[in-house]
Amino acid sequence: MLVVRAIQADDLDALYVMATQVGSGMTTLKPDMKMMGDRLAIAVASFAETIAPEKRDYMFVMEDTDTGRLAGVCAIKGAVGLNEPFYNYRIGTLVHSSREIDVFTRMETLYLSNDLTGSTELCSLFLHPDYRTGNNGKLLSKSRFLFIAQFPHLFTEKLIAEMRGYQEESGRSPFYEGLGRHFFKMDFDHVDALTAVGKKSFIAELMPRQPLYVAYLPDDAQEVIGKVHTSTAPARRLLEQEGLYFEGYVDIFDAGPVLQARVSELRAMRDSVLAHVGTTVAPDAACAAVADPEPLLVSNTALHDFRMILSQTAPVNGAVALSAAEQDALRCADGDAVRTLSLNPRKNPHV
Amino acid sequence: MYVVRPVELADIDALEALAAVPMPGVHTLPKTREKILAMIEGSIASFAAQVDIASEESYLLVLENLADRSIAGTAAIFAAAGSNGTYFSFRNDVIQQVSRDLNISHSVHALTLCSELTGYSQLSSFYVGEREQGTAEAALLSRARLMFAVLAPHRFSDRFFVPLAGVTDPGGGSPFWDALGRKFFQMDFLDAERVIGGARNRTLIVELMPHYPVYVPLLPGDAQAAMGQIHPSGELAFNLLTAEGFEADDYIDIFDGGPILQAHKNSLRTFTGALQRRATVALDARDRGREPPVRYAISSGFEHNFRAVIADCAALEAQVTVGLPAEVLETLNIADGDTVICVRL
Repeated sequence: MLVVRAIQADDLDALYVMATQVGSGMTTLKPDMKMMGDRLAIAVASFAETIAPEKRDYMFVMEDTDTGRLAGVCAIKGAVGLNEPFYNYRIGTLVHSSREIDVFTRMETLYLSNDLTGSTELCSLFLHPDYRTGNNGKLLSKSRFLFIAQFPHLFTEKLIAEMRGYQEESGRSPFYEGLGRHFFKMDFDHVDALTAVGKKSFIAELMPRQPLYVAYLPDDAQEVIGKVHTSTAPARRLLEQEGLYFEGYVDIFDAGPVLQARVSELRAMRDSVLAHVGTTVAPDAACAAVADPEPLLVSNTALHDFRMILSQTAPVNGAVALSAAEQDALRCADGDAVRTLSLNPRKNPHV
Repeated sequence: MYVVRPVELADIDALEALAAVPMPGVHTLPKTREKILAMIEGSIASFAAQVDIASEESYLLVLENLADRSIAGTAAIFAAAGSNGTYFSFRNDVIQQVSRDLNISHSVHALTLCSELTGYSQLSSFYVGEREQGTAEAALLSRARLMFAVLAPHRFSDRFFVPLAGVTDPGGGSPFWDALGRKFFQMDFLDAERVIGGARNRTLIVELMPHYPVYVPLLPGDAQAAMGQIHPSGELAFNLLTAEGFEADDYIDIFDGGPILQAHKNSLRTFTGALQRRATVALDARDRGREPPVRYAISSGFEHNFRAVIADCAALEAQVTVGLPAEVLETLNIADGDTVICVRL
């Protein structure tokens, strides 16, 4: 069984092994023992609530309980941009118009901004290739929404997720080649590496401070603004299902989109419900139709040892039936409270 | 002999003929008789005006071949560019990008729309006929404008600039325009120049042109290559003006990217080298002095009777008078003993 759980101090070695499998473009998960150790320490302190909420970094790992192996990782950063500036481009509009000669030109611009400072960030999602089947990706990604729904007071109102931007098969980033290269005079991979070691803001300081007209960029660079990396497209769809949307902020290097949402408007906030573990009464005739229940995300309600699984059960009258193995995976017992959320949005929410 | 003198109403036919020479992208003279007439009248009024402070005056000089009374060239100077508005240009900026932490330091070239040239005196409309290209007369014509400014400094600014036409292709397209102005104006280069009448002081420039710096590395190669490049027709003017002391690197035209030369008057040879001398009639020019003669541009010393010619005479640095043949005095419309301005050519 796969369980997503709060990371623990002794996960470091397994995490490192996994990080070695992540390619370039994912800036927050680099195989660097020192960096990972530091990050893990913060994560452990976050779940223990020994540091301030805005400094917290909740990391989750997906563990295969059959083998003890780590299958994936994801994280929620309490707030971004409070230690060093958090930069994005905001896509803006400037209208150049002259009544006199009847010309009206609408120009898209890129403004270097720190607008998203202080937002809670979903980040560091990585699923091992061996586990990229079935609902595993959804389980891993959506676990964070259940966590937020269980502990909304820990987060700021604005939630963001930076998506990896478009790259050609060769790894070339058309946006970077069209813009950043002129200002940094270094390769994308190098910039990427510097970003990973926390030097993104230094690099950003080399960016032009004045707004840029998009029309000056080469066509291939213009086309990929707000476009995700092919391998990131499914992840983007998942987040959009949960209530995140693109609102015109992009990464300064590869122009990958930043998805945003208000925490209070997340599907998990609206639709997740608390239930208690228990036997559900035999379904009556009407409910018998639900022979094959929708997959259900089920988590426990403990902050320090948050755990979540995917179950094929359905909550009935505030109770949810879990097998012994499932209860074990969630470290809960009969009568304990659990939070549940259907894995997929209901097709018709009014039924 | 040639003389440079203020334009007169009688010159209109000759100017109309000059203006008819087709040169796409190059603005020397207005194309219609009506506008040429307005320019001539403006010039006559400007020369006649009592000026306290430079404003809308425009002075148009012509190069006349006295042998056949033909007009061989024109040159104009506006007292204050952009009067009635603002003169817009792109300033060449260098933005230093430094990151101590990353040990990176390099510079980025950017163009910024600016109005700094507003109020400068502007040289323009320089044109000489085929026959006079590259001659001393062409140099005289170009320089005569500045000699007039030496004579009447209160009519001009302390700073001068000259926009020169940028490169265009045979079809009248401009690579610089296509990369920049076209995106905002949504029209062809020549259409835009027609719409704006060659002016650089119209409100619509503020409305349409980019408010933020244009980062040069983002422009296509042909547009970058066109920046600061002159149209072949402007080479003569460019050479004369850089020899005069004008500098080409600071500003370019917002439409075609052509260079805008500019200078403070103290760095211009006409100002630093102008000598004021009393003219006398030289009875026999051949006899004067043992040194080889020096070629001078000589203008009359009267603001309201401005004329300039070329004359060869002995070096004037150590003299108080300049001996000139009687016909030169006559051409300058001055008498024995009057003051003249002399500049080595």
